[in-house]
Amino acid sequence: MAVLEKDQVLHLAENAVGIALKKGAAEAEAYVYEGQATNVGIERGQITKSNRIIDRGVGIRVAVNKAVGFAYTNIIEDQSAVEDTVLKALSAARASKPDQDWNGLPEKKLYATAEKTYDRKILSLRSEGLVDIASSMLDAAVSVDKRVFPIEGGAGAAYLSSAIANSNGVAAFDRGTIMECSVAAVAKEKNRVTPVCFEFNAERTYSVDPAWVGKEAARLAVSALETKQIKTETTKLILTQFALQELLYFTLINAVKADNVQRNQSPFKGRIGEKVASENVTIYDDGLFPGGLRTWAFDGEGFPQQKTALIEKGILRGFLYDNYAAKKEGLTSTGNASRAGYLSTPSIEATNFHITSGNKTPDQLMNELDDGLIIYYLQGAHSSNPVSGEFSVVATPAWKIRKGEIAHATRGVMLAGNIFEVLKNVSVVAGNERKMGQLIAPWILVENVRVIGK
Amino acid sequence: MEDILANVNHVAVKFGAEYSETRAQKLYKTMLTLKEGRVEAAKQGIENGVALRVLVNGAWGFASVGSLDAETLTSAVSDACKMAKTASSRLKMPIKLAETKTVEDRVHIRPKKEPSTILMEDKINTALSVNKATLSYDKRVKSCTIDYLDLTGTNYFANSEGTRIKQDKLYVWSRVTATAESKGVFTFSREEIGSTAGYEVFDAEPPEVIGETAAKRAIEQLDAKPPKGGKSPVVLGPNVVGVFVHEAFGHLAEADLALSGGVLPNNLGKKIGSDLVTFYDDGTIDGAFGSFKYDDEGVPAQKTLLIKDGVVTGLMHNRETAQKFNAEPTGNARAEDFRVEPIIRMRNTFMAPRDHSLEELVEDVRSGYYFKSFRGGQANLDGTFQVGIQEGYEIVNGEIGEPVRNASISGNTLETLLKVDAVGKDFKLWPGRCGKGQTAFICDGGPHIRVKEVIVGGSA
Repeated sequence: MAVLEKDQVLHLAENAVGIALKKGAAEAEAYVYEGQATNVGIERGQITKSNRIIDRGVGIRVAVNKAVGFAYTNIIEDQSAVEDTVLKALSAARASKPDQDWNGLPEKKLYATAEKTYDRKILSLRSEGLVDIASSMLDAAVSVDKRVFPIEGGAGAAYLSSAIANSNGVAAFDRGTIMECSVAAVAKEKNRVTPVCFEFNAERTYSVDPAWVGKEAARLAVSALETKQIKTETTKLILTQFALQELLYFTLINAVKADNVQRNQSPFKGRIGEKVASENVTIYDDGLFPGGLRTWAFDGEGFPQQKTALIEKGILRGFLYDNYAAKKEGLTSTGNASRAGYLSTPSIEATNFHITSGNKTPDQLMNELDDGLIIYYLQGAHSSNPVSGEFSVVATPAWKIRKGEIAHATRGVMLAGNIFEVLKNVSVVAGNERKMGQLIAPWILVENVRVIGK
Repeated sequence: MEDILANVNHVAVKFGAEYSETRAQKLYKTMLTLKEGRVEAAKQGIENGVALRVLVNGAWGFASVGSLDAETLTSAVSDACKMAKTASSRLKMPIKLAETKTVEDRVHIRPKKEPSTILMEDKINTALSVNKATLSYDKRVKSCTIDYLDLTGTNYFANSEGTRIKQDKLYVWSRVTATAESKGVFTFSREEIGSTAGYEVFDAEPPEVIGETAAKRAIEQLDAKPPKGGKSPVVLGPNVVGVFVHEAFGHLAEADLALSGGVLPNNLGKKIGSDLVTFYDDGTIDGAFGSFKYDDEGVPAQKTLLIKDGVVTGLMHNRETAQKFNAEPTGNARAEDFRVEPIIRMRNTFMAPRDHSLEELVEDVRSGYYFKSFRGGQANLDGTFQVGIQEGYEIVNGEIGEPVRNASISGNTLETLLKVDAVGKDFKLWPGRCGKGQTAFICDGGPHIRVKEVIVGGSA
C-alpha cells in the first residue's frame, strides 16, 4: 500500500487547525501520524508468521481560555470524522480548567535536516526479504552450538511519517525508516535451561547484520549454561548497553526532565554547574545524531530537535525541555516533546541519550578488572525509585571476570544502589559505542557496587 | 458489521486459508492527566479498526487496518494470505489449532454508571479530589500525578468456523503517584484502581482514600532505612503475593513461554510447591480488571486451576498451544487492540487463602521483613524472579517494626514455592497492567503468606 504524501498530510493538518480556529479555539495544533510496518516473526526455532500493520491518525490539541483539550481519531479519510474530532477537543478544553502557566503553542522555526534517517530500500522491503534476513539470523544462531534454542525474534521494516501544523504558522513534515532484527535465545541441556539471552540490531538505513545478531545471542546463551554462585560483596562492574539502558531510563533520564525538576521530583534541582558525576561522564541529548534511532527534524510539537549538553566531564549542564516547561522558566524548548503517535499529547522525553565514548577497546576495559562482573541483562529496573534513583535489581545471567578474562557465568545476582552514586563511580568509559532505543553509549566501568550473591 | 467480517473470512478461505479470523473494534477513550491539580489536558479518542489473522500452510499471516471499509478489508486479507504463504516457506512444524465449539453470542455490559455518560467535568472533579487528598496529607508531599482512563465500545469477532461474537468492552482505570521530599531524601508511592464494572468503582474506592493511601506511604518512607541485602524470611502482603504469583509462576504457566524452554512442562502433574500452594487464573470474576466473557480467539473465559496443593495441574492456553499439549484452550488469548495479534495473557491470577492470621504469620519470625506493597516485578524463563517493594517493614522478634525502603526480593520459583510455610486466611485482588510486548489489564492477589527464605536486595 502506498504511503501518504507530504502535501496530503500537511493539508490534512492545516485543515484541522483551520476548522478548530473557526469553531472557537484560541489556539490549535494538529499532528498527523502514519506508521506502516512489515514484520516476520520467529517462534521456537522457526519462522511462523508475518504481519503488516498500517496505523494512521490525527491528534488535535486546542486551547480555549488557557484550558487545553485534546482529541484523536484514526479515521482520517472522512472530513466529518476530522471535524467531529476537532469538536471533541474543543468540548474537552471547555470542560477542563484554565492553566495559568499555559503560554501558547510553539512559534515557527527553521529546521535542520535529519541525516541518515530515510532509506528507500527499507520502504520496498516485503515479507520475502524479511524471511531471508530472519533465516540467516536463525541459521547463524543454531550453527554456534546445537544446544541453542532461539525462542523468539524476527525481522521488521517500518516507515514512519509525521506532519504538524499549528495556529502560529508551524507547518512541517518529516519521514523516516527503521529496520531491525532480533533474537532471544536460551541454551538447553538435559533439564537445564539458561536465562534468556537477547541480541538485536536496529538501523535507520538498510544495514543490519543478522548473522552477527544470531551468533552473539547464541554465544551468550551457551556461555551461560555453566554457572557458579558468587558471594555478597562490594565490587567493580562493567555495565554493557543493555544494563545501562534499563537503569538509566527509569532513573537518570527522569532526573534531567525539566518538568520533574520544576515539580521537585529531581535531585538535580538547583544544581546546574555542580559536579554530579565522575569527570569521565559526558552526556548529550542529541536529537540530530546522524542515523540515530530517535533522530527527527522536529519534535512532537514541531520544535526543531537539537543537541543539548546534560553532563560535561561530570558537571551538570542542562535539562530537557518541551515548549510548556521552557516557557514557564522564560527559556526556549530543547526539542524534547515526544508523542505516542497520534494517540497522545506531547510529554518530555530524551531523544538520543548519548554517553560519549572513551578510547579503550572492550578487551582493554576487561583488563582493568582484576575481579568483578560484566552485566548484560537486568530484571526489575522498572521497579527502581524514579525520584531518588535507588535501584534493587537482578542481573541474570551475568559473568564473573578474573584477571581480565571471563571466568564463569552466574545467575540471580542482585545489584543494589543508587544511580547517582554509580555516576560518581564511573572510572573508565570504553569506545564501543552502539545504539539501543534512546541510548547511544559504550560499555562503562563502575567501582563500588553492592552485589548480593546467593 | 458481522456480515462484512464473515465475508472477509470467506475471501480468506478462497485464497487458501485453512483458518481465518477477523476482529473489529469500535472504541472510545477518555483520558486525563493532572499534575498538582493542574489539568494537563482533557483527552478523548476514537479508534476503529480491524485485525485479520489467517493460517495458510501452517503459518500465520496478520494484517491490521484502521478502517471498517469492506474493499480495504478484502485487499488486506489477500495480503495477509500472501504473507502467511511466504512465512510458511521454511516451516518445519506447521501450526495447528485445537478444536473449539462455535459460538454465536451478543455480550452486553450493563454498568450502574456507564463511564461515557459521566460528564468530563465530573471526571475532572473526581481526579481533583484524589489530588487534594494527596497533597493536603502532609506538606512534605511535593508532587501528585493522576492519570485516568476509561474505555468503552464494542468488539466484533468472526471466524471461518462460524463463530460470531459481539461483545461490549468497558474499562475504568486510574493511577495516582505521589512523591515526598525531606532533607534530601526522595520517596515515591503509587496507588492504582481498575474495574470492568463501571464508574461505580469510585464508590467502592473513594478518591479521598486513594489519595491518602498514596501520600501516607510516601511520607512514611522518608524515615525508612535501606534493608540489609541477603537471605531472609519474609511475610508478604496480598499485594506482593499477587505480583509474586503473576511474575514468578504465572508467566511460566503461559503455555507459549512454557514451550519456549520454561521449567513447567517437565513438571506437569508433579509437586513443585509446598502443600499450601494453590493458584488460579480466573477470567470470570464479575467486575475484576482482568475479566471478560470471550477471549480474542472466541473461546469462553474460564477459571483455570494452575497448581493445587503444590502440584502443577495446568497451563494457560490459546488454541495453538492447546493443540500442542493436547489440552483444552483456556480462553487466555488476548490482544491489546486491533493493531496486534492475540497472545497468551493472564486474567485474574491469585493464590487461594488458608488459615493463618497476619499476627500468626509474623510472630514466629525472629528477624525478617514484612513486604506489603510492590513496585514492579519481572520474571525470566529459568524461573528467576524479581519483585520490587514500595512499602516494607522490618520484623523483629515476631513484631512488625520500622519501615524499610527500596527493597526487592528475588529467588528461583521452583525453590521458593517449596519454602511457603504458612498461608493467611484473608484475601484481596489488585488491578494491574502486565507488559508482554502488549499491555493487558489484569488482576492479581491472594492472602498474606510467609516464605522461609528469599534473597532481599538491599544496599545495607
